[in-house]
Amino acid sequence: MRSSIDEFEEKEKPDGYYERTLKELSDMNQKFHIFSRMPQSMEHGFQFSVKDNICVDGVESSASAEILEGYVPPFDATAVERMRGRGFSFIGKTKMDEFGFGTFGINCAEHPLNPINPEYVTGGSSAGAAAATAVMKYHVAIAESTGGSISCPAAFCGVVGFTPTYGLVSRYGLIDYANSLDKIGIMARRSADIRHVFDVIKGSDRYDTTCIDREVNADKRTKLIIVDQLMQNIDQAVLSAFDRFTSKLESRGYEVVHRSIPFIEKAIPAYYIISTAEASTNLAKYTGFKYGKKTEDFSQGYNEFFTEARSSLGTEAKRRVILGTFVRSASVKSKYYEKALRLRRMLIEAMGNVLSEGFIISPTMPIMPPKVEEAAGLDPVKAYSMDSITVPPNLAGFPHISFPYDYSGDFPMGAQLITSHFNDYALMDFAGAWEEDFEYRFKYNVGSL
Amino acid sequence: MKIGLEVHVALPTKSKLFCSCSPIAEEPNTAVCPICLGMPGAKPMLNAEALKISVAIARALHCDIIDNAYFIRKVYFYPDLPKSYQITQLDGAVGRGGYVRVGGKKVRIRRVQLEEDPAKVVREDEYSLLDFNRSGVPLNEIVTEPDIGSEEELRGFVSELRSILYYVGVDIDREMKIDLNISLDGERVEIKNVTGIKNLIDAERYECKRQGEIIAAGGKVKTETRSYSAEAMSTVSSREKESDEEYGFIYDPDLVMYPANTIRTDETPIASEIAERYSAQYGTNAETVKELVMFDRNALRLLRHGAGNGKIGTAINAISMLRRTDAMDIDEKNFDRMLEYMGRGMLLSDDAIKALKAGNDVEMSAGAVSAEEIDKAIMEVVESRKDLVAEYSTNHKAFNFIVGLILKKYKVSPRYVSERLSKVLETKLK
Repeated sequence: MRSSIDEFEEKEKPDGYYERTLKELSDMNQKFHIFSRMPQSMEHGFQFSVKDNICVDGVESSASAEILEGYVPPFDATAVERMRGRGFSFIGKTKMDEFGFGTFGINCAEHPLNPINPEYVTGGSSAGAAAATAVMKYHVAIAESTGGSISCPAAFCGVVGFTPTYGLVSRYGLIDYANSLDKIGIMARRSADIRHVFDVIKGSDRYDTTCIDREVNADKRTKLIIVDQLMQNIDQAVLSAFDRFTSKLESRGYEVVHRSIPFIEKAIPAYYIISTAEASTNLAKYTGFKYGKKTEDFSQGYNEFFTEARSSLGTEAKRRVILGTFVRSASVKSKYYEKALRLRRMLIEAMGNVLSEGFIISPTMPIMPPKVEEAAGLDPVKAYSMDSITVPPNLAGFPHISFPYDYSGDFPMGAQLITSHFNDYALMDFAGAWEEDFEYRFKYNVGSL
Repeated sequence: MKIGLEVHVALPTKSKLFCSCSPIAEEPNTAVCPICLGMPGAKPMLNAEALKISVAIARALHCDIIDNAYFIRKVYFYPDLPKSYQITQLDGAVGRGGYVRVGGKKVRIRRVQLEEDPAKVVREDEYSLLDFNRSGVPLNEIVTEPDIGSEEELRGFVSELRSILYYVGVDIDREMKIDLNISLDGERVEIKNVTGIKNLIDAERYECKRQGEIIAAGGKVKTETRSYSAEAMSTVSSREKESDEEYGFIYDPDLVMYPANTIRTDETPIASEIAERYSAQYGTNAETVKELVMFDRNALRLLRHGAGNGKIGTAINAISMLRRTDAMDIDEKNFDRMLEYMGRGMLLSDDAIKALKAGNDVEMSAGAVSAEEIDKAIMEVVESRKDLVAEYSTNHKAFNFIVGLILKKYKVSPRYVSERLSKVLETKLK
């Protein structure tokens, strides 16, 4: 399928097109709280939005965190710079769970609502990115995933969400959550758009040492692997739809096999240990001195001053800072942090072996999108368990894509496909082939031509 | 007494440890960027030159070099630390298990590591200011084992270390920051952030006396951290140290593994070891040679050259003369000519040395003269001016007058003439 980018270039734009599009988008934003920052006027060209934790020169970039309000970076993230360099136009910063801490997109002020039905969550943490993609026709979202923050909202909002192999896209300009896990990725309405944008933003960058130049492959796999441990605790409605989906794939010539992967059920604790350990050091800079909300009372001692400044962190952020500080403390470090690092190594190997045989396929999320108050009522452990399918590829740095495979009422159901490191193109090829005869449904088409 | 040091020196790089900012700037907060300010979104990138210099230092300190160096985050909260963590190394350190020879003893080096300097706090009366020019300056921390046993060894160690750092290319005139660990009876007291060698010795003396008095009075020294005040010339307790501080170290996931052992570096000469070797080999005075070469690249170069030609004794004298005339940058070829003149018993005036350095031949008129000729001239004056000779033991002006007569005729070193004259007069008067 052609990319919407090519399609957009070829089409005539009527007079007042951009003004009208911006107006429609602002209306959508009123309804669904998609953007944290939008420009007054719209630059001409194909539009891209940027998750709020990715720096845009001169635009407030607060990672939707109250403590970081007013932070205006004097530089573009490498991915943003590359998009602009190739003629894409920046349309706004999309809302997210504070610093990326959340599965449903509700951990921030005036959180995004699902455009399919605003009583439901968008999924998180790249909540606004998914909502923007769901409402806007000619647009791609630069998003970011640490443990599933692209797959989950893509699935809940019915768009395609791609998370690349760790290290293929520069993280320079990304406000860190967990540096060894954070990956800048893409959301779009078509796989061809994702491929186009991926080629723009990937590639080594002297400003990010962990980013490398590697040939990206498109090795087709004919085997689809269902990992039994990932299929635990999945809602019945999701399970039966997924069974129909895999049967359809079988009829198209794919072989579906079942495997189990040692330790994969330990991915959630390992992920929450590594990510919070790193996050607690990344958030240490928000002390009210150089960064973070400034308090006025300078008569206090340092510790009182820091404590007061940090009180504006959200509940989930505080929880993760405390958890992360604990797991890396000297007395328990070997029990938690170091063990989690070992587990990650083992998982990379074990998953890698299975992935050399075929794609791993599963529903993206174990549940259908919940209502906002249902999600808000979940206790943290239950909420963290919602990431059980998206976390393993994120923890091990494997590329994965989520795309709609069915609908239940108005709501889409997303499937997640995982492949080997550096075989990223194969994912877009697979989803692209699926799109040939499965039409995605979009309730809104802001900016259509 | 047991003393261990943690010495911090700034490395002579063109840019900071993790960004391209200059490590030296006058105007506060001008050499800064998103990286060294720790701005959200910015990431560090390692300066390869800093790693290379660090490897050179570790090798010069006879350390084992790690295969893959890596970095960790040391988390603590202080206004001078914009990220609230310092990027440092510990177990990922460039070098470990080395030593420095001090006299006949080895002071063991536990670790040589790279780390970033925090910003500078400038304290005013009512407030403090922060200068981030220093934030991210590459530091090498050199940690010793507690092997230093006396003030003399402390001085010896510092001098050896400074000489080694000088030969690696470190600007040793920049202030060193040193943490001094000192214990007399087993309880370790750490004195943080002593700047400069003079303060180090003063702090050591004060602390030695303080702990000594406690022990003499039957008391027990407390394990604690103290700080040294240069104005008061004393140390004060800053906090009790009941257990090791909690820094919550984790790997810095923005950085990778850096092969260190395969980095090629020039061998760093250990000046004092060379002096000892020459002394054993040629019977030269080790202290004299050390004095010449510890902090002088040119002196070492010329001495090695002279030794290679089998003229080490003459070379030592020649180097002293060159230093006096500020002509240390003479090239080897002209140095050889100088040695040749001296070998023929010629004395060289300052002008003659300058002429040699410039590659010109030295004529008699320019001040090259043989030792016999000077002796002859002295004898002539001594014979002809008996009046002065008679006075010489009571009137030093008479002595100087004779020297002046000789110098009027020959442009040679006054010291040499004085020495010869003394000899002649002594033998004459006996």
